Amino acid sequence: MREVDQRYFSRLESQLDEAFDVAETAKERGADPEPEVEIPVAKDMADRVENILGIDGVAERVRELEGQMSREEAALALAEDFAEGNVGDYETKAGKIEGAVRTAVALLTEGVVAAPIEGIDKVELLSNDDGTEFVNVYYAGPIRSAGGTAQALSVLVGDYTRALVGIDQYNARSEEIERYAEEISLYDKETGLQYSPKDPETKFIAKHLPIMLDGEATGDEEVSGFRDLERVDTNSARGGMCLVLAEGIALKAPKIQRYTSQLEEIDWPWLQDLIDGNYYENDDEAAADESKAADDGDDDDEADAEAAAEEDDAPPEETGPVRPAPSKKFLRDLIAGRPVFSHPSAKGGFRLRYGRSRNHGFATGGVHPATMHLVDDFLATGTQIKTERPGKAHGVVPVDSIEGPTVKLANGDVRRIDDPEEALEIRNGVEEILDTGEYLINYGEFVENNHPLAPASYVFEWWIQDMDEAGADAQALLDDPRIDAEHPPAEDALEWAREYDAPLHPDYTYLWHDLAVDDFCALADAVANAHIENGGETLVLERSETVRDALETIIVEHRQREGRLEVDDWVPLARTLGVVRDEDGELTRTWTDDDLSERARTWGDSDGADSGDDKRNSSGGANAIKAVNEVAPFTVRERAPTRIGNRMGRPEKSESRDLSPAVHTLFPIGEAGGAQRDIAKAGKHADTMSDTPGVVEIQIGRHRCGECDTETFKNRCPDCGARTEPDYRCPSCDSAIEPDEAGRVECDRCDTEATCVESREIDLNKEYRDALETVGERENAFDILKGVKGLTSADKIPEPMEKGILRAKHDVSSFKDGTVRYDMTDLPVTSVRASELDIDVGQLQALGYEEDIHGEPLVHEDQLVELKVQDIVLSDGAAEHMLKTADFIDDLLEQYYGLEPFYELGEREELVGELVFGMAPHTSAATVGRVIGFTSAAVGYAHPYFHAAKRRNCDGDEDCVMLLMDGLLNFSMSFLPDQRGGKMDAPLVMSSRIDPSEIDDEAHNIDIVSRYPREFYEATLEMADPGEVDVQIAEETLGTDEEYTGFEHTHDTSDIAMGPDLSAYKTLGSMMDKMDAQLELSRKLKAVDETDVAERVIEYHFLPDLIGNLRAFSRQETRCLDCGEKFRRMPLTETCRECGGRVNLTVHQGSVNKYMQTAIEVAEEYDCRPYTKQRLEVLEKSLESVFENDKNKQSGIEDFM
Amino acid sequence: MPLEGPARIVSELTTRGYNAEREAVTLIAAAERPQPTLEQVVEQLPERTLVVRTEHVRAVLEESTPASSESSPVSSESPPSNPSRDGDDSTDRPQNNPSVSTGDPSQPSPTPRTDPPVETEGSVDHIERSSDISRRSLEIANDMTGESTGTGEYKDFVAVFRDRLERLGSKLRGRFNHRPASAIQSMPGGSEAAMVGLVNDIRSTASGHWLIELEDATGTFPWLVMKDREYADLVEELLCDEVLAMEGTLADDSGIAFVDSMSFPDVPRTYEPSTADRHVQAALISDVHVGSQEFMADAWNRFADWLHTEEAQHVEYLLLAGDMVEGVGVYPDQDEELDIVDIYDQYEAFNECLKRVPGDLDIVMIPGNHDAVRLAEPQPGFDERLRNIMSAHDPRIVSNPSTVTLEGVSVLMYHGVSLDEVIAELPEEKANYDEPHKAMYHLLKKRHVAPQFGGHTRLAPEKEDYLIIEDVPDIFHTGHVHKLGFGKYHNVLAINSGCWQAQTDFQKSVNIDPDAGYAPIVDLDTLDVTVQKFS
Repeated sequence: MREVDQRYFSRLESQLDEAFDVAETAKERGADPEPEVEIPVAKDMADRVENILGIDGVAERVRELEGQMSREEAALALAEDFAEGNVGDYETKAGKIEGAVRTAVALLTEGVVAAPIEGIDKVELLSNDDGTEFVNVYYAGPIRSAGGTAQALSVLVGDYTRALVGIDQYNARSEEIERYAEEISLYDKETGLQYSPKDPETKFIAKHLPIMLDGEATGDEEVSGFRDLERVDTNSARGGMCLVLAEGIALKAPKIQRYTSQLEEIDWPWLQDLIDGNYYENDDEAAADESKAADDGDDDDEADAEAAAEEDDAPPEETGPVRPAPSKKFLRDLIAGRPVFSHPSAKGGFRLRYGRSRNHGFATGGVHPATMHLVDDFLATGTQIKTERPGKAHGVVPVDSIEGPTVKLANGDVRRIDDPEEALEIRNGVEEILDTGEYLINYGEFVENNHPLAPASYVFEWWIQDMDEAGADAQALLDDPRIDAEHPPAEDALEWAREYDAPLHPDYTYLWHDLAVDDFCALADAVANAHIENGGETLVLERSETVRDALETIIVEHRQREGRLEVDDWVPLARTLGVVRDEDGELTRTWTDDDLSERARTWGDSDGADSGDDKRNSSGGANAIKAVNEVAPFTVRERAPTRIGNRMGRPEKSESRDLSPAVHTLFPIGEAGGAQRDIAKAGKHADTMSDTPGVVEIQIGRHRCGECDTETFKNRCPDCGARTEPDYRCPSCDSAIEPDEAGRVECDRCDTEATCVESREIDLNKEYRDALETVGERENAFDILKGVKGLTSADKIPEPMEKGILRAKHDVSSFKDGTVRYDMTDLPVTSVRASELDIDVGQLQALGYEEDIHGEPLVHEDQLVELKVQDIVLSDGAAEHMLKTADFIDDLLEQYYGLEPFYELGEREELVGELVFGMAPHTSAATVGRVIGFTSAAVGYAHPYFHAAKRRNCDGDEDCVMLLMDGLLNFSMSFLPDQRGGKMDAPLVMSSRIDPSEIDDEAHNIDIVSRYPREFYEATLEMADPGEVDVQIAEETLGTDEEYTGFEHTHDTSDIAMGPDLSAYKTLGSMMDKMDAQLELSRKLKAVDETDVAERVIEYHFLPDLIGNLRAFSRQETRCLDCGEKFRRMPLTETCRECGGRVNLTVHQGSVNKYMQTAIEVAEEYDCRPYTKQRLEVLEKSLESVFENDKNKQSGIEDFM
Repeated sequence: MPLEGPARIVSELTTRGYNAEREAVTLIAAAERPQPTLEQVVEQLPERTLVVRTEHVRAVLEESTPASSESSPVSSESPPSNPSRDGDDSTDRPQNNPSVSTGDPSQPSPTPRTDPPVETEGSVDHIERSSDISRRSLEIANDMTGESTGTGEYKDFVAVFRDRLERLGSKLRGRFNHRPASAIQSMPGGSEAAMVGLVNDIRSTASGHWLIELEDATGTFPWLVMKDREYADLVEELLCDEVLAMEGTLADDSGIAFVDSMSFPDVPRTYEPSTADRHVQAALISDVHVGSQEFMADAWNRFADWLHTEEAQHVEYLLLAGDMVEGVGVYPDQDEELDIVDIYDQYEAFNECLKRVPGDLDIVMIPGNHDAVRLAEPQPGFDERLRNIMSAHDPRIVSNPSTVTLEGVSVLMYHGVSLDEVIAELPEEKANYDEPHKAMYHLLKKRHVAPQFGGHTRLAPEKEDYLIIEDVPDIFHTGHVHKLGFGKYHNVLAINSGCWQAQTDFQKSVNIDPDAGYAPIVDLDTLDVTVQKFS
């Protein structure tokens, strides 16, 4: 590690320590469930694993083993330690196995996800039919988050430990084997599996597994055969078990085999048969092989298959260009209001450009901010889009160093728009978006998705290398201040092409590959027949449909005037068309149609390559690039061979995370506070006149004071102030039970679980007044203080109400674990400017940033600095929320804990340098981050490694930040729901520093170079495998001194927040407005087929809605409007049987047919297929038939006479 | 053999007030001197005979010229409709093709004609279909087409269920000293009580007994069926919202009653079905699914051709219990599996299929869940546009369900969507897909074609419950599950017809093997069934 990195981490950690000290002091004084901070710090993965498991000694052993072996091997080595009792304090054999299995899963998931604690319920020993003992592992649903490999390995580790502690193998009974098969099919049908083994495969595995896989019931659906088995507790599908068997063992068999072969104690010879597919009893082995191969489809394999298909699709005889096959998958389940930006590989759609911008990589796509505005603001920074390739989804980032969109204005002018301001100005006058501009995808994206490289656009960074290759001094060109190599004047470009025999500069390379050969010839004619005006500046062509279409297709900027088309800067165009201007100024075409070779004339003729929307009646090819190269005096490369189809997914997000309804404190008040859970109201509530107002019976945990034996529900004795302990009693014999070291409270005599929960009368009014007094606040400090109806935790320990009062005062709400959270869409950034973060250089320097990315001293706001891995950029909303939280924390420290305030923030810039927790759903580990600045985009920008440490990528994922001190002071395990998954999404442990080797390895595939080599671009033309080209990715610096640095980028962007701040999807009001805007946009975009969009919206949104609601109507429940009682069927009494109140339907005519007319209108207006129209017609008649009285129809005018 | 012969003979006989079996006519025509033979036959007919039967003719022929009896087989050589012909024979002879209901379709129940119809002359072309059209009768009951008055209000739903309790309850009330739920609640503990109500809830208790909540217009009352009582077995047959009566003893606190007996509206064991008073047959089919790639056009054509044959000469009625076409939008991406994507083209194609069957058949159709009508039951018959398309042979198009009475034999036609639910809810041995008629027995027993609300079947509230089996039918005809099965329940013939659609990919995936290409033929005079196979 470099010294600078060392300093950085030390600094974070000492800052963390300071906060910790304050928090510890506070916790000792307060009445929190525990007198100490409940989030342990983990310096590395070993720490996290130990903390998440709560088994002492694991971290030390993991660190010892880590240097010597792989993580999987370490898991096996640890199994030995558990078996021998070197690690963990388990007395029973089952305990040892449980420890080993949990540790293995924790280790393989880097101690971040909840799977080891939530996904494995228990391990127990059961008896075989011959009386020997075997091991049974209980899995639960959250094992899913561990992934297949860890799941499979957990079984192996379980078996290994079993062998070491000397327990026999499991001999499955035949009905149990059958049960596995039935259950897995059931689970697959009900929930779906990534890989669904066929019955014989399942049975084969079940028969040979040396330990039993069991688990909790996860679904409602029950198996119909093999029920009520002695050794299987449930008749429902056991989700955890199904996942482990199907996606673990069956799918990852080759991986497990690698380890079984190394272990003497265990022998899984059947794995080979499983891998080979030799599990069919007899003759149909071949079929088995086939089905195995065919079904072997997790996502990677799918991509492979797709890749193979694409390669197959490339015409064998080369009658057309190499192109990836269009894929429609991303259009599936199109939703009303979320527009399509480009149909699959369609002309006019996003042009693939390779490169990584500094705010890019890790499942994101770079879009020009002008495009964002021109697609009616539907795209904003952080908006998710579903893409055609290379992966499934991207987060959108603004990049203005790529080409913007080209539009046709109402007056017929065609202009490229490279300035977002200009885009806004002309937006209302845009008639058609001819081209949506470039779409930046980094090389690493293709590596991560194992997608063959799609042919690259011809762009400046490739051209300059072509120049170098051709013998020009590229560096000199770039350095010469008189030359603009990136956007040279036409004379320079033509001169270079001539002098060095290099391909024509991309600025003057048009989209010839989109033009049909016939149209190319026609255009050449038109140019040859044109005249020149404006002192040679302007080429004036006679206006005709063909010529205009051709210019629009190849995207040549021009003006349209009465009878004429005017093209400026026309010389490269004419030269490319083989038209020269002689000394007299006359334009001459240097070739005739017959000069073209057969190949050039029919190039791209195959009807597959293009979407087929332009059916030509001539015999010519659809792609003029070969013809161009035959007539032009220089080489012309394909400007944009690959188009990326995409549509909008989720909108970006930046908002506080509230429970619904939002609560200020986790204090239970039952129904007394009304639907709002208003504590003040609850304090006055009385059921009857004789009840004391505010006294409410509530399920709550009983505590006892050790000093004076007072019974209370508080964590501090109200009499003597000493800390109290939960008072667990056995429900059958009422004896007091002390928890054992594992925290379990079980009565040994009665074999029942003890509890401290009781129903107790609480004077809410008194609690409320006391709390107000404690913190010295008056009721008017806040509008409303909201509590919860009841507690869901095991011991039902309430939060001190004082905390809620202060939260209410500062208008922040509490999450289920007591913390205040703010959600943001994740986006990556590797270099930042002070200017875009709304901070100054001094602040950056204060954070330890000394140099810019070029190693120059940091002096001004526009210099780029490389972002440190744990520094994060907050959205404006998040910053505001953090400020409120900081005020809350300060008040809490002062008014509740009696300490000095910690933050004392005035302006938001003072937030810079403060520590926060980043934390993703489904995980149990928080990552410490430091605020470096702010952005107006509604996203959370941070280093990709920071996101990866939370196990997120940036394809539209979102997660939360919490203020550090809030987490330390207010988080408690005691608040977490006592149910499966309750411990997910809670900071059971925090990582104080990121070790790049211990994060989600997807982040290692980010490329970190400042340019891609020429070989890369050439390889894309062959659709090479991404592994075949040499571009440095982050993986290569892992474990070296450079692992935290050197994230270079190929493209800059002037600001990480450009384009609209919010997607139009969020700013438009109703669903109808959104859909109208979506369809309107689809008309404007050349790359979008609006009929298809309308079809899909009807097919995937309106029709399911209509059909679903109509179905729901005719079998609906009813509900009492007064007491809320539900009835499966309309009661014959007509009124409510409970309260006599009015009963009404839950699904009304209005909710059934709300989309009917709209759908019909859309189908009509966008000319949908008769099939779709007829479906609507039939539905409309159904609606009429159900909701209209045949006798009351207005059949004609006479009805009114 | 001159074609006019038989026609003239039939004409002659009808003017004298007789009908004739086809073979009898053939025999007379084949006689050396038909006219005197005819005279002789008529003369020798027993008193009050209405139909001239073969044996009457034989007797006369044997008497006069014993040797000529050999000529009778010739009659069977009279060419049936030409099976190899692809064209549509009915269109080849439109002017000769009679149709019984061409007169006035709006007249709901054509009374048997006594005057000799002129068309009869034409009916006897080479196919020689039965000539006694005048004896046919066809009446429709319970058709709610055009009577859909519900507007989807809460009160409409309540009205339907109240009507159900009222009408089905009346079949039980006479048998018990029943009390309303509210009255039972206030009866002293230990007393005997009876109640008629809708099943509101069925639960098993922790100790394995059954708790059944009955509901009437006054409220609900829980009835406990002890697991060891004989009625416990019946509990698993129960569906929510069916009407039944319970008798039992109130518990000490009167909060619950212990069931001593349970009764269903049911079909009386002694039910005696009506039969036609002549030998006439009806073909009961359903689920044609025209437009599907799996529609078995060949099987259908063989069926249609067979109807033209002598063997089928007594088949005078054709009942179609829904799913004429495959429909559109019945399941996702259905268009990819359709042979005919346009719904109207599907009905046009179905009409072409219909044209192939003999023109003198009386046809009755109800819609099914694939048809272009509302899915919620009761389903009104097709709208005008579809009726105009399905015009071949002028079929009677009525609602699902409807009851059609053929020469006194009542046939309850119901498409059968609720069968799925009965089969799913009841134990395998009581209802399964291989014996669909057994599931139908339960509907007969409950006297309701789709009792359970809120599950599989959809309900559109109308002013009354059209799904009740008010009168016991003689035949109960359903389809939908694509399995053939028939049997008798308390003498009521239950028939689930198969289908005309080969196994679909979906059916393959769930291992359903449809009975495709069968036509059950019912003798209306005996209610016996023969199954004709065409696949």
